[in-house]
Amino acid sequence: MKKQIAIVEDEPALRENYAAALARHGYSVKTYGNRKTAMQAFHTRMPDLAIIDISLEDEAEGGYDLCRDLRALSAELPIIFLTARDSELDAVSGLRLGADDFLTKDVSLPHLAARVAALFRRIDALRRPDNAAEIIRRGSLSIDGDKMQTTWNGVAVTLSLTEFWIVHALARNPGHVKNRQQLMDAANVVLDDNTITSHIKRVRRKFQHIDAAFDAIQTVYGMGYRWVE
Amino acid sequence: MSIRLQLLLVALTTLVLPWAGCEYARELESALRQSQEQSLLASATTIANALSAQPQRVFHDLSDAKPFSASAGDLYVYPLLTQPLLDGYRDDWGIAADPVPLPTVTGYRARVQAGSTERFLYLYAEVDDAHFEAQPNNAPPGQGRFDRVDLTLQGASADARSNYFFATSAPGLIAAQSVVKGDDGTLRVAAEPRIQAFWLQTSMGYHLEARIPLSFVGPHLWVEAIDGRGEGRSGIAPTANPEGGRLFFTTAGLDAMLSTFIRDGTRVTVIDSNALKLGSAGTLTATPLGESEDKGSTWYRFFLGIDTSAMPQVVPAADHLSGDSVRAALLGLPHAQWVLVPASRELLLMAAAPIAIDGHTHGAIVLEQAADQLLALRDRALTRLFNLTLIATFLSVIIMLAFATWLSVRIGRLRSAAESAVGSDGKIQLHMPESASSDEIGALARGFERLLSRLNEHTQYLRTLGGKLSHELRTPLTIVRSSLDNLESEGLRDDQARYIARAREGTVRLQSILSALGAAARVEESIKQSERVNFDLRDLLSSAIAAYRDGFAGVRIGLELPPDACFARGAPDLIVQLLDKLIENAVDFCPRGGAISVRLVRSQADYLLEVGNDGPLIPAALMGHLFESMFEQRQGRDDKPHFGLGLYIVRLIAEFHGGTAAAANRTDGSGVIFTVTLPLI
Repeated sequence: MKKQIAIVEDEPALRENYAAALARHGYSVKTYGNRKTAMQAFHTRMPDLAIIDISLEDEAEGGYDLCRDLRALSAELPIIFLTARDSELDAVSGLRLGADDFLTKDVSLPHLAARVAALFRRIDALRRPDNAAEIIRRGSLSIDGDKMQTTWNGVAVTLSLTEFWIVHALARNPGHVKNRQQLMDAANVVLDDNTITSHIKRVRRKFQHIDAAFDAIQTVYGMGYRWVE
Repeated sequence: MSIRLQLLLVALTTLVLPWAGCEYARELESALRQSQEQSLLASATTIANALSAQPQRVFHDLSDAKPFSASAGDLYVYPLLTQPLLDGYRDDWGIAADPVPLPTVTGYRARVQAGSTERFLYLYAEVDDAHFEAQPNNAPPGQGRFDRVDLTLQGASADARSNYFFATSAPGLIAAQSVVKGDDGTLRVAAEPRIQAFWLQTSMGYHLEARIPLSFVGPHLWVEAIDGRGEGRSGIAPTANPEGGRLFFTTAGLDAMLSTFIRDGTRVTVIDSNALKLGSAGTLTATPLGESEDKGSTWYRFFLGIDTSAMPQVVPAADHLSGDSVRAALLGLPHAQWVLVPASRELLLMAAAPIAIDGHTHGAIVLEQAADQLLALRDRALTRLFNLTLIATFLSVIIMLAFATWLSVRIGRLRSAAESAVGSDGKIQLHMPESASSDEIGALARGFERLLSRLNEHTQYLRTLGGKLSHELRTPLTIVRSSLDNLESEGLRDDQARYIARAREGTVRLQSILSALGAAARVEESIKQSERVNFDLRDLLSSAIAAYRDGFAGVRIGLELPPDACFARGAPDLIVQLLDKLIENAVDFCPRGGAISVRLVRSQADYLLEVGNDGPLIPAALMGHLFESMFEQRQGRDDKPHFGLGLYIVRLIAEFHGGTAAAANRTDGSGVIFTVTLPLI
């Protein structure tokens, strides 16, 4: 059965473009222009994945409310914010509400599709009971590439999809400097340098939340970042 | 011309006050003078009328109309107040006037003066005669040659003349001598002991002071000094001038009578038709001009003083009066006039009225009054007025000056505030001094404030324009790009794919433009989110510069670091961004083959991060604007979009760290240096 994706986006052209692209990748796509119609539909049937814009018609932050409501309905539903807003604050707010990823509209359709696929893969991996998946271990760090789960000293670190891919890219080759472009490629995202920097910052903070002495991601000024063990 | 100077000049116009005061005082003085003239003239006329009623108490001889003539031997007889000592000196006569010269034809000079007491006529003669010829023993004139003075007195009748002469064998007290014919027909000399004289020999000649009883004296006399060596004579002789010199006596008792007419400070003088004084009473209490009691009042006379140059001058004489008034009165017209006595610089009011008897003017009465009282009055008024107006002027000038200073200080403050309102960092100072004042300057300041706040709004708008634009354009761009993505996925013919590729290139460029436009907004955003940590600037620089050297292979990047670690507090990521912008900027402007120099210096209070390049110098006019948002003066074209945000971002980051950003041309003109200061920790 086709996976169903809900797109809540008030810009019809964009909405249809996303829908067409995702449909081409074999998903069943439902589109909504505002929060109300979306919520009505969700009450009837939950989608398998939701892509939400933050500002919805007359509600400047309708996307946040929608995200909160959706999360209340289902703890596991993958939610992606896709928005023209690119401020730190927006990203932080969105992710704090339980979104799995926060994308700006700069993202290309193939990138979007890759993320959607990744999220579905993770859902599937989580549902598979026990598999000898590819697991990267670097000291206290352990990354399950399939389930997209990261642990530090055995404690799960909740990372967004982008953050996960950044950590994954760094930890795979410890000691190697990854510049920003490489990190963006790994995360299937087009971001500017500042956004990469803030992603890194957020990742560090999440690790430091578990282990205050965390210092494994090092900045190489002017070049990029590297994982040190 | 500064406002202060202008107002000072305006204030000087108050000098018209003292001027007006002076004019007023002048008029006042003129009116006072006229009234004084009139009252004195009225007094003079009154006295004249009184005197003309009793002519015998005023005039000796009403018939004598022949004018006084010194050359004819006429002598004015000064009234002597005391009995002089016969000693050959006339100092004790108390008469200021000099003796009058006797007529001479030979150049032999003699001077004579007459005075009288109640009983005696005194004659004083000064004869210039270098050689004294003594009288041989009782030799009569004509026998032997000796210096002598002939004196011929006319008795009561015109025929009865007595001839005397004065001569001596030795200076000293002598008696007059007369020549008598002896019984034997010889001429001999007889002494007249009632006529005493003193012969005093001087270096110039001799003095003769003689005392003659008034009973000997008639209306006429002849005086002649004769040189013993026959070299000359001076005076008049009965043979040559049978009429002889007349004696003009003052009128006895007249002084006492006159003194009843006058009050203090006024002098009354009665003159005869020759203007000779017949009697006078009263004294003047004149003070010379410029010596009045108030010293302070003298200085302003320097430019306010009575104009004495046009004033008629009168030289006082002991025996007569002169002046226009006297002349007019003797012609029968009362007249009053202000006159100046040049020798003593006294200002006098002279009022003269004729004394007419039976319609014929026989003399005049002259009243003289000093201008003192008038002057004092005027001086007081004028000084007071002058001082007051000067003080007023002075005060108004001071006040004007203070006011002008205050005004110009305020305007200056406003001006300097206006000049520095837009700082070199592009920050706008919205508050102007003086804006709370309710006057025009306050209005001007408020006008400035409105202007600046509009400018600020505009600047803010410009500052946020990039972010807004990039935000607003993002959605349509995404529509285009996602449509292209979809189109591509549909499967395209080769020619279609070409166009799609071009369209995609366009969107990529648009994307980078939008990204550049929003850069400042994003930096501002991340500054808000930034956490400050301690980091080593030196490490950061060496690591970053190494990366730039790889990234920009075409240019040489020199790095100069201090030997020790340089800890700073802030966001190292932002510092890297700052460095990115500075290096990008330097690379853009650095000519091919040029070098970029990066230097970190630790000064007393700051780290100085200098990024220099060999590029073209910055024009002075642009210097202050480089770090403003959306300021772009780049001439060349390259493939990257420039919105003038790079250096603005540098500034934002420097300011976030409590530092500054500045640009300067190298002193040797070889390029430019951008300097960022960051505080030490």
